[in-house]
Amino acid sequence: MAEYIKYVDVTKCDGCRACMVACKNWNDLPAEPEEFQGSVQSHAKVTANTWNVLSFIEHEDSKGNLDYLFRHSSCFHCSEAACVKVCPENAMHYTDFGTVNVDSDKCVGCGYCVQNCPFDVVQLATYKDKNGKEYKKAQKCTMCVDRLEEGMQPACVTTCHTDAMEFGTKEEMLKKAEKRLSEIKDKYPNAMIYNPEGVGGTHTIYVLAEKPSVYGLPEKPKVPTSAVVWKDYAQPIGKMMLGATSMALVGAFVSNKLFNKEGKGHEEEGGGSHE
Amino acid sequence: MKKSVVSKEYQKLQKEIISLQEQWKSSINADRIQPNLDKAAMEAGVPVTALAAIDFDIPLFLQWIEDISELLSKYQPDIEQSMESLKKSLNEETAKRWIDEAFAFNYVYFASFAEENSLDQWIPSFVAETVLRPYLQVTAEKVQDEIHHGVHGSGCPVCGEPVRLAQLEGEGKKVLHCPRCSAHWHDRRVTCSHCGNNDHETVKVLTIEGESAVQIQVCEECKGYTKIIDTRQYIVKPTPAMLDLNTIHLDFVAQDQGYKAAGETKQTN
Repeated sequence: MAEYIKYVDVTKCDGCRACMVACKNWNDLPAEPEEFQGSVQSHAKVTANTWNVLSFIEHEDSKGNLDYLFRHSSCFHCSEAACVKVCPENAMHYTDFGTVNVDSDKCVGCGYCVQNCPFDVVQLATYKDKNGKEYKKAQKCTMCVDRLEEGMQPACVTTCHTDAMEFGTKEEMLKKAEKRLSEIKDKYPNAMIYNPEGVGGTHTIYVLAEKPSVYGLPEKPKVPTSAVVWKDYAQPIGKMMLGATSMALVGAFVSNKLFNKEGKGHEEEGGGSHE
Repeated sequence: MKKSVVSKEYQKLQKEIISLQEQWKSSINADRIQPNLDKAAMEAGVPVTALAAIDFDIPLFLQWIEDISELLSKYQPDIEQSMESLKKSLNEETAKRWIDEAFAFNYVYFASFAEENSLDQWIPSFVAETVLRPYLQVTAEKVQDEIHHGVHGSGCPVCGEPVRLAQLEGEGKKVLHCPRCSAHWHDRRVTCSHCGNNDHETVKVLTIEGESAVQIQVCEECKGYTKIIDTRQYIVKPTPAMLDLNTIHLDFVAQDQGYKAAGETKQTN
């Protein structure tokens, strides 16, 4: 299957927030009323029930001119995702489309993914079971995987009226991004394509008008070293050690059987310990 | 689409037929099709192919019939014998007749042909229609630039197939697509494409719960319906023929509600 990615050209965005509405609507997410935060922006950042937030940034450029920047923010769907790496239950996984999703049946709400996401996207949602007991599950943008499976584009993309967002093959979208970058370089000298290598590239790429830090994005995000150590070294070693322990057990059992014939030694030893 | 009511196997067969037709199309010499774009006739709703001078390549036509027979037998080994007898019963003479009758959609002829040659009823008309389509499609491609609108009640301006499928484009423009010859033309959004009724009270829309990209536009005047698919939401746009097939459940819904594929023309007196 061809690899598909979401392309976001923030320079075409007019901040209408239809993508936020489309997301809530398609994914049936509850409203989260917020206090006024001093700007048009509704939520400070994405939450467990608001997978997609339009951020409004008042930016003063080097010449002292004010620029009003908009950015559709949601999960980046990293190719080498930290959340997938750290998840102890394999609830965070890659789909057939290369995107990253949570398997809610497997998720135990440990929150490792929340701590390790380089973009601060994954959050825990709290639910109540029928006995009134609270439990948590990781939640985030699914890239509308249920739509992708039907051959349809994500809800946010289809609703975008300025064509700031598009969904297509990786190759095609990267080409589009390059072309757009060359068009806006004069107006925005700091413009760049945001497809960070530290996480193996992402399935949501941006054409940003300014440096990533202006948008509150990490300049060089990467999978945290602790996550790599945990999944690539600690877990395998742990499993190996488990293997070693069970081998030792089997060994002990066999040697007991072999060398303490008729169970004498066993009894004697056991008896001895009681004295 | 994953959720289509049509089985995977049948979709695969149809896809193979379509790619076979694409192959055939490339072997058609487009110069042998001379469309006659008579303005008056077009305004009166006469399909372009009815007036086009098409010089059919009969040996090629017979070859195609062999190709399609082979493909069908691959999927349904028990019809291989019927296909053999079909091929035997065809010669240049009958091939010419077939073309004419397929053009005219003459089911009666094909039914009697099936009976005479003791074939399953569906075989002759299905095969004839399948091998005629490449010619219709090449003709449609040739004249597409001149096709801007259709005449309500006359079906496809190129091949005359009744209207039943539209796709949304741009900011919501309704573009009718012919699943038979792949021609497409524009129609007004709140207008019945069968009778031209544009009263917003009687042109209604049926929607299917859980399917955000499809609508069935129905007309209370002529009782006709049109499937309107928002393919802007699709990742890859399917061919009109496949789109028509995969949305067949909408035809069932519409017909269940008492609407018809081809609207009724009103008797004036």
